[in-house]
Amino acid sequence: MKSSFIFLILFIVFFADTHAQQISGTIKDSTTGESLIGATIKVVELNTGTTTNENGQFKLKIADGTYTLTISYLGYLNKQIKVVVVNGKNVNLPLVLSPTVIEKKEALIIGNRNDKNVTSTEMSRVELTAEQVKGLPVIFGEPDVLKAITLLPGIKSGGEGGTGFYVRGGGPDQNLVLMDDAVIYNPSHLLGFLSVFNTDAVKNIEVIKGGMPANYGGRLSSILNVNLKEGNDKKFVTNGGVGLISSRLSVEGPIKKGKSGFMIAGRRTYIDAIARPFLTTEQRANGYYFYDFNAKFHYQFSDKDKIVISAYYGRDIFSFRSPTNNLVRFNVGWGNAAVSAKWFHQYNKKLFSNTVAVYNRYDLNNKFEFGSNGFVLSSGLQDWNLKHDFIYLSGNHNMKFGASYIWHTFTPGIATGQVGTIVINEAINKQYAHEAAIYFLDEFKLGSRLTVNAGLRGVLFTQVGPFTEKIFDDQDLVIGDGKTYKSGEPIVTYPGIEPRLAATYLLNSTTSLKASFNRVYQFLHLATTSGAQFPADLWVPSSQRVKPQLAYQYAVGVYKNFNKNEYETSIEAYYKPMFNQIEFKPGANLFFNQNLENEMVFGEGLSYGIEFFAKKKFGRLTGWIGYTWSRTTRQFDELNNGRPFFFRYDRTHDISIVATYQINNKWTVNGVFVYGTGNATTLPTARYTYQPGFDLITGEPKITFIDLYDRINDYRLPAYHRLDVSFTYVAKQTEKFESSWNFSIYNLYNRANPYFIYFVPDLEAQRVRAYMVYLFPILPSVAWNFKF
Amino acid sequence: MRTTIVNIILVIVVAGLVSCEKEITVNLPPGKKSIVVEASINQQFPNLNYVYISRTLDYFNPDLSFNGVKDALVFITPGEIQGRDTIWNVSNRIQLFDISEIPGVDSLLAGFNGVYFNPLLLPQIGVPYKLEITVENSFISGVTTIPNVVEIDTVFWRTEFDEQEGDTDVFLTFEFVDGPEQNNYRLIVHNSQNPLMVGWGTANTFREFDDAILNNGRRPYSFFSPFNYSDTVNIYLNSIGRREYLFWDSFDDAKDNGGPFSTPVMVKSNITGAIGSFTGYGVSYRRVILR
Repeated sequence: MKSSFIFLILFIVFFADTHAQQISGTIKDSTTGESLIGATIKVVELNTGTTTNENGQFKLKIADGTYTLTISYLGYLNKQIKVVVVNGKNVNLPLVLSPTVIEKKEALIIGNRNDKNVTSTEMSRVELTAEQVKGLPVIFGEPDVLKAITLLPGIKSGGEGGTGFYVRGGGPDQNLVLMDDAVIYNPSHLLGFLSVFNTDAVKNIEVIKGGMPANYGGRLSSILNVNLKEGNDKKFVTNGGVGLISSRLSVEGPIKKGKSGFMIAGRRTYIDAIARPFLTTEQRANGYYFYDFNAKFHYQFSDKDKIVISAYYGRDIFSFRSPTNNLVRFNVGWGNAAVSAKWFHQYNKKLFSNTVAVYNRYDLNNKFEFGSNGFVLSSGLQDWNLKHDFIYLSGNHNMKFGASYIWHTFTPGIATGQVGTIVINEAINKQYAHEAAIYFLDEFKLGSRLTVNAGLRGVLFTQVGPFTEKIFDDQDLVIGDGKTYKSGEPIVTYPGIEPRLAATYLLNSTTSLKASFNRVYQFLHLATTSGAQFPADLWVPSSQRVKPQLAYQYAVGVYKNFNKNEYETSIEAYYKPMFNQIEFKPGANLFFNQNLENEMVFGEGLSYGIEFFAKKKFGRLTGWIGYTWSRTTRQFDELNNGRPFFFRYDRTHDISIVATYQINNKWTVNGVFVYGTGNATTLPTARYTYQPGFDLITGEPKITFIDLYDRINDYRLPAYHRLDVSFTYVAKQTEKFESSWNFSIYNLYNRANPYFIYFVPDLEAQRVRAYMVYLFPILPSVAWNFKF
Repeated sequence: MRTTIVNIILVIVVAGLVSCEKEITVNLPPGKKSIVVEASINQQFPNLNYVYISRTLDYFNPDLSFNGVKDALVFITPGEIQGRDTIWNVSNRIQLFDISEIPGVDSLLAGFNGVYFNPLLLPQIGVPYKLEITVENSFISGVTTIPNVVEIDTVFWRTEFDEQEGDTDVFLTFEFVDGPEQNNYRLIVHNSQNPLMVGWGTANTFREFDDAILNNGRRPYSFFSPFNYSDTVNIYLNSIGRREYLFWDSFDDAKDNGGPFSTPVMVKSNITGAIGSFTGYGVSYRRVILR
């Protein structure tokens, strides 16, 4: 790397110790003091190395001798140091890395570690930084984490402009979305057009789409782990941006220099004000906006103890006033809240622990008013979560073990208010559940070429009272008093064992073969009938009738780096059967439904595919090409006459090409091209007429046309493809102030990509017309970003 | 409501940028053939006791006529409840005939080619009725009952001058007493000088609702959209059974199929052998002149 330089430190340790011989340390950002997660430490002479853990720490077991360590991290200048270990004396290295100017360099590199993609046992895992996300072309001038990850192989976008993502044939509820360890149940704003992640607050993003290590679980398809900035403990920094539909601002700085720092960030959309000129008079009475806040604080008590507290609060607000009757109003608000507190402790040179307590909540409130009458409908889900993880590093073994516990409270629906003389106080039974897990994993070497990561995770889910199990007749009406469970009384318990195994065999220093296997249970399920995540969609627990979802995933891959790691390539194939999958009957009623489970049907899923990935890491031109061939089906006895059908987001071919070219110190150009086979969709195959009548004014016959469906997802929408470009211009860059402009053009060649199809019977022309709706034509946008 | 909200949000989110659409050609394989039945009985208006039989068409079949089915044998039989059993006495059954072929009956519904009718059919509240149809080698049957009538109790309105339109808007409300039991309702509003006499499809508004949330008390029903001053409004508050309610609820969703946020809806038929419904309406009727 041109910008890198060698920094030489000589450590000579003379004291005799015949037992312990290790190099350990912490790697931090030289300017902010933030720990660097996943930085690579490589011992040049031994062609071995390690990476820092989530607290920025590392440890290497090493024999006496003189060694050269190379420390590298994306967006930072490489550092090389020389270490001499004599007579087994431990060496502790507190290290700092200096950031490069990200906007100028490497803006589109995924992963950063020399050879790490080849040597580690991890597969199906990628990392992104917030800076990488910001470098991509964007719509409305809004960089977005979730849109960025859909450019990776095996991860598919939910639709035009949307943030929904689908990993290796899994549904949207099969992704565990974590923000600083807190589960985010609805990670989108604006019905999915933007995610809840403010890129100014984000530090890095990790996606695990297979080969899930034993310390993760709870979702079948993927883990999206978003870590926020901890707060600069050296100096005050303000970041911000002004986009077409929203603006954002973040401030971070020290509370006690070198020890403690904070970060606060906020964002608010003004899309309602922007849209106002385009709306009709009636529509202007409606309003829609969202906002969110992040706050984070850390305190380093000593080298061995550190606490980090993170909080998030965000809401979408929609208000509606009837254009014809001003007494009729409707307000909807929904959003997530999350708080997590983490304590890191180092017991000794070998043993570390993380203790995390989390509270997270998602809720939806609908308020209906008509004159003096009105009522409120609310629903939601909240978790209390406690987990404790240990990391034990001992010679050839890197071990992790721990336990977690979650107390879930599901609130499917509460209605309160008054209409006429009717006092409304109705509630669908709340549901409560314990979810616990223990795990152990060990990564160890077998010889010089084979590294194995073996783990076992034990899970236990119990639905408990208080709960009244209602009994319904064949017309969905409650009969009898039902069966009552006392507080804490178990209703149903599901234990499970989840073996995890991953192995890497090094063919040579730049080539490896990898394989992984995992089995995962999922106890929470999203009740939705649409492809997009709607705020009213409910999360429901496993119960007596709803069995836990279960998936196996087998993956094999070959990894190869070229030209001193300038080029990284990989091919991965996966096979993923899924059981106890849930769908809803066509036309299922999810709204305030006491007997929601009666609307569900249960079946199986299968996904398999092969993913090709090649990226260029260095030079003026960087970027990647990803191609996935895959097939995803579902089979339900009660749907599609029992025949398997394509999953909605089955996409045979999926291509992403991402490129960045550094023109000069001021200008960078980015391009993204995506191509995907059209989504499978269900279209009517017949129609019929109903409700005969007459138009009272014209005397003409009047009829209602109803569409009829007998095959699911049997039709393919046209292929989706799009080219986006953006130019980043660094207007000013000094020690005290940075300013840059991002000019993006979304859908450069104005492709009309299908959003949905609808039909209109044209009685006059005696034919049915089909129309395809597409959302975004060529769409320029501009955003200004600043930092001081 | 959900679709409405989503559409409004979509308009706000992408105002000025969306609503791009183009006509396309879609090739769909032929669909499954089926008979479709709409059978209605009520205790008050004999003209609204009819059975409409049609058949499904391939989606892009150029023939958009109403596709009614003639030459069907249609019977409705009143039953008698004895304990847990219902006794159907064939001697009481009434045959319905193609309305275009009944002497002395001159109905506009004849134009639909498949409407069956008998002026002698006078159903009663609380009595079970069985529908039997034999057509094109198919046998179709269904059972319904006309539930007890829930009376429209009070009707009142307020007026408001509409400055934009320069006329007077009338906001109409009626009230009824909802009992403690689970009822299901279907509201039909007919904005005309005369009561509804020709097919439920002639009315302006159809809406079904239940009392899952608003139960047991005096319940107002306010119309969101205003009427015009001096309009004559015919209100039908029809009590229907649970199965019939589930059909009409799914029918309402099926009318609004399509779009990115919805999935195809299949109606929940309450008859066997065909798609459709057999609905007994317990009609409460009020006619008001808004002055």
